[in-house]
Amino acid sequence: MIELKRISKWVMVGNKPNFILKDINLGIKEGEFVSIMGPSGSGKSSLLNIIGMLDDASEGEYFFLNQAVHGLKEKHRSQLYKQYIGFVFQAYHLIDELTVYENIETPLIYQNIKSSERQAMVADILDRFQIVGKKDLFPTQLSGGQQQLVGIARALIAKPKLLLADEPTGNLNSRQGEEIMDLFKELNKEGVTIIQVTHSEKNAGYGTRIINLLDGRVEL
Amino acid sequence: MIRNYFKIAFRNLWRHRVFSFINILGLSVGMSACLLIYLYVSFELSYDRYHAKGDRIFRVVTNIKTPTDTLDWNSASIPMSPAMKKDFPEVEQFVRIEPNSLLVSRGETKFQEDKLAFADSSLFSVFTLPLVKGDPDKALAAPWQVVLTETSAKKYFGTAEPVGQTLYLTGSRLPATVTGVMKDFPDNSHFKYDILVSMTTWTQKINPGLDDQWEGFNGFAYVLLHDAKDAPGLKAKLPAFIDRHIGKDLQKAQMTFTLDLEPMKDIYLRSKRGAPESGSLPNITIFSLIAVFILLIASINFINLATARSAERAKEVGIRKVVGADRKQLTGQFLGESVLLCMISFLMAVGLCALLLPLFNQLSGKTISHGIFDHASTIGILLLIAITIGLFAGIYPALVLSGFRPIAVLKGSFSSGKKGILLRKGLVVSQFVISIALITGTLVVYSQLTFMRNQDLGFSKQQQLVINFDGDSTIWQHYEAFKQQLTSLPNALSATASSAIPGQGNPTAYSQLENHLGVMQPTNMELFSIDYDFIKQYGIQIVAGRPFSTGFPSDSTRAILVNEEAVSTLGYHSPQEIIGKKFSQWGRQGTIIGVVKNFHFRGLQNAIKPMDFRIRPRDFSFVTVKISGRDVQKTIAAAGDLWRRTLPNRPFAYYFADEEFNKLYRSEDQFGQLFLNFAILAIFISCLGLLGLASYSTLQRTKEIGIRKVLGSSVGGIVNLLSKDFLKLVWIAFLIASPLAYIGMHKWLQDFAYRIDMDWWIFAMAGMIAMLIALFTVSFHAVRSALANPTKSLRTE
Repeated sequence: MIELKRISKWVMVGNKPNFILKDINLGIKEGEFVSIMGPSGSGKSSLLNIIGMLDDASEGEYFFLNQAVHGLKEKHRSQLYKQYIGFVFQAYHLIDELTVYENIETPLIYQNIKSSERQAMVADILDRFQIVGKKDLFPTQLSGGQQQLVGIARALIAKPKLLLADEPTGNLNSRQGEEIMDLFKELNKEGVTIIQVTHSEKNAGYGTRIINLLDGRVEL
Repeated sequence: MIRNYFKIAFRNLWRHRVFSFINILGLSVGMSACLLIYLYVSFELSYDRYHAKGDRIFRVVTNIKTPTDTLDWNSASIPMSPAMKKDFPEVEQFVRIEPNSLLVSRGETKFQEDKLAFADSSLFSVFTLPLVKGDPDKALAAPWQVVLTETSAKKYFGTAEPVGQTLYLTGSRLPATVTGVMKDFPDNSHFKYDILVSMTTWTQKINPGLDDQWEGFNGFAYVLLHDAKDAPGLKAKLPAFIDRHIGKDLQKAQMTFTLDLEPMKDIYLRSKRGAPESGSLPNITIFSLIAVFILLIASINFINLATARSAERAKEVGIRKVVGADRKQLTGQFLGESVLLCMISFLMAVGLCALLLPLFNQLSGKTISHGIFDHASTIGILLLIAITIGLFAGIYPALVLSGFRPIAVLKGSFSSGKKGILLRKGLVVSQFVISIALITGTLVVYSQLTFMRNQDLGFSKQQQLVINFDGDSTIWQHYEAFKQQLTSLPNALSATASSAIPGQGNPTAYSQLENHLGVMQPTNMELFSIDYDFIKQYGIQIVAGRPFSTGFPSDSTRAILVNEEAVSTLGYHSPQEIIGKKFSQWGRQGTIIGVVKNFHFRGLQNAIKPMDFRIRPRDFSFVTVKISGRDVQKTIAAAGDLWRRTLPNRPFAYYFADEEFNKLYRSEDQFGQLFLNFAILAIFISCLGLLGLASYSTLQRTKEIGIRKVLGSSVGGIVNLLSKDFLKLVWIAFLIASPLAYIGMHKWLQDFAYRIDMDWWIFAMAGMIAMLIALFTVSFHAVRSALANPTKSLRTE
C-alpha cells in the first residue's frame, strides 16, 4: 500500500541543510498496524506527515496504492488524500465553533456527499462510538478522551483505508488511552491500516509492527 | 455547505462578540454617515432641476463698470428682459421677479410678508410651478392680482375659498384680488416666495414709469430661449443691444453695462453673483470628500480587523484542510463570512440613517429628504458597496489563510506574516491621516468663526434694539416725536432712525466724487441714510471732519460722510484731504464733511467697500433704540405698547443688532457643526479600529509580555512598549495630514475677506488630540495585559 524509497527531508539552517529524515526506505502493506517509535526529534511526526501527504519530502519517491505521490499535483493529491486517509492528532484539533455532530460531518461536506446520506453516516458512527448523547455539545464541553473519540470518529467518517495517528493518547490519562488503543485494534481487525506515532512501549504493543527512528534514520 | 459556513460565521461572530461589535458598528456608522452626506449632496445638486424647461432658462445679470470698480450684479433692470424678447427672436419668453416686503392684511389678520414678490404671469409657463386653482395665463396678468401658495392661502383664509377674495397690500390701502393658488415652492428652489403679486401692479400702479428705467437694479429677470444652443450667440449680441437702448446715457455717466446669461441650473451652486438662496460648491466638494473618507476609514477598519483576526482562524483552517477542504472552498467560506458581516452592517446603517435623518435635516437647516426609503437606488448602490467591502475585507485573509500549510498551523508555529503587519500599519496610518486632517479642519473652521464673532466691527452692536417699520410713512413723517417717546421709555438711552442696519444689506448708489486730481470720479457707494444721532449711537468713529449736526442746516441736503475706504479709492493719502470735496449722488450735490473709520457693514466674508452716510428721513426703515442692560424684557414690552398705540396697523417686528449680525455666519456655523460631527465620527471609527488592532497585537505578544515581566519589567515599561508602536503610526499620520489639511483649509479660508492665519498651534493641537485619543485607546489594552499575571500567559500550550 505504501512504498517509500530513499525519502529525505531537510530544512536549511543558515546555509547548511539540517536533516530531519535521511534516506528512509519503507513498505507498509494493507491491514498492517504499524507503530513508529523514537525519541523526541527523531523525525517520527515528519515521517507521518509525509505519509499523510500533509508535507512534502525534500527528496525521494513515495508511492501510495501504486500511485507516485511525489509526482502528483496538489489537486490530485488532495483527491487521493480525501478518499483514503484519516488523521488523528495528539491535540484532537476539533473546530471549537462546531458541535460534535458538525465536526464529524465536516469531511463529508468537503467530499460533496448529499445531506441525507451525511446524516445517516454521522448517525451511524455516533452510534458506534456511543456518543449520540453528546452530538450537540461543543468540543470544549467534553473531556480529553471524549474529544479524541470525536477526532477518531471524524477521521473514520469517510471510511478511509489508512488511519494516521500522531500520539493519539499523548494528552490522555492511562484509562482513556487504553480505550483508544482498544478501539484502534478493533478498527485494524476490521481492515483499516493504521500507522501511529507513539512514545509508549505499551501502546506500540497493540500494533503488529514497530519501526524505530533515531536521528532521522530507521533503526533496524 | 453554505449552511455550515453560515453556522460557523454566526458562531464566530458570537464568540468574538466584542470584535464583531466593533467591526460591525464601525462599518455601519461609516456607511450611514456616508449615506447621509450623499443625500445632502444630492439634494444640493438637485436645486432647480425640477423645471421641465430648465435647460432653456437663463438668468439675465448685469455687470456695471465705473472707472473705479466693477459690480457683478445678479439682477437686471425692469425694461431689459421685455426689450430682449422684442429684439431677439431667440427669446421665447421672459419672467421678472421683483422681491419686496409688504404688510398684507385681510380684515384683522395681518402679516408682514417678507417673502413677497411682484412677478410676470409668464412665471407659470416658464418655470414648472403649478397652479392648484386659477388660470396660469391670467392669474398675474392685470394689476392688483395676487397668487398665494397653498401654505399662505391657509394662513389667510383657513379652509375658506381664497380665489376671488380681497387682500390689502401695505396695510389697508391697496386692495388686490386673489386670482390663484399655487403649490408651495419646492425646497430645492433658489427662490421661494409666499405671495406673488402681478408685475403690472408694481410697474404701472405703484411705480409708474418704471418700464423705462434702465438703471434701477432690484429684481431678477429670466429668459426662456427657444433653444439653449442660442445662448452664446445671443450673448454676443447683447453689447450692441445695450448700446442701442441706453448707450448715450451710460456714456454720459462714464458707465458700461454688460449683460450676461446664467444657465438656470448653475445659479444655485456656481454663480458668484449669489441668489436669494445659494449653495457652496466648495462645501459640497468638501463634504463629498469627507463621505468618501469616512467610508474609506470604516472599510479600512473592517479589512484591518478581519486581517488581524485571521491569525486566530489559522487553526480552524488547518483542521479544515486536514479533513479535506481545498483552497477554493476555504476562500469561499472566508469571503462569504466577511460579506455576511458587511450585510449586517449595511442593514444597521440603513436603520441608523432612518433614525438620524430628521436630526440631520435639522443640522443642515433644510429638509434634504423626507424619508430614507425614498432613495431605493442610492440604497442599492450602498448595498453594492457593502458587498464590495466584504469581498475586499475577505480576500486577504481568504488567500493568506487558505494558502497555509496545515501542518505548520496545527503545530502552532504559525506567526502572522510581516507582510500583513506592514499592510495593517499602512492602513492605520491612512486612517489617522484622514482623522487628523478632519480635526485640523474643524479647529480652523471654529477659529475662523470665533474670529468673526469677536472681531471688532468698528461699530457697537450691543444692546441695540432694532425695530423694523418697513419704511412706513407714518413713522418717518413724525419720527422726531416718535423718537422722543421712545427715548423717554424706561431704560432706553437713545434712539436713531436709518435706512439700513449694519449687516442687513443696503443699496449701492452710483455717485460721482471729486478725486485727488480734482476730477469728478464715478464711484459706486454703499449708502446709508441716517439721522443726526446714528453715528453717535452706533459708536462709529470720526477720523476727520465732523459728524452731521443740526447746527448746519445744509447738512440735511448737501453733505455726506464717507469711510476711509472711499478716501483711498479716490486716491487721497489722508482723510483730511477729502474734507470739503464735492460729491454728486442720486440727484444731490454737495460737499464731503467728514470721514468715518472703516466699519464692517457686511459680514467678514466681504471686504469693506467705499460707503457714505447722508441725511434723508424719507429713506428710513428702521428705528434703533439703545437700551441699558436692565429689565430688557420690560423695555421691549414698553416699546411694543408704544408701537401699537402709534401704528396699530403694523406688527411690532424687532431684533437685536448683534444677534442679527451673527446670523450672517449661519451657514458657516452649520458648516462648522457638520464638520465637527464628521470629524468626531472619523476619529471614533479610527479609534475603534485602533482598539481592535491593539488588542490583537497585545494578544499576540502575550508571551513576550510574560517573559519581560518575569525578567523584571515594570508595568509602565510594558505599557510604553505596547503603545510606542502605535503612537509612531499616529506621528507619521500627523506628518502627512498637516500639509494636506493646510492646503485644504487655506482654500476654504479664501472665501473670507477677513480671516485668521493658520498658526502652528492648530496643527500641533490636532496632532495632540489624535495622539492622546490613540494613546488612551491603546493603553486600555496595554495596561490590562501589563497587569496580568505572567505565569498565566506563559502557561499556554
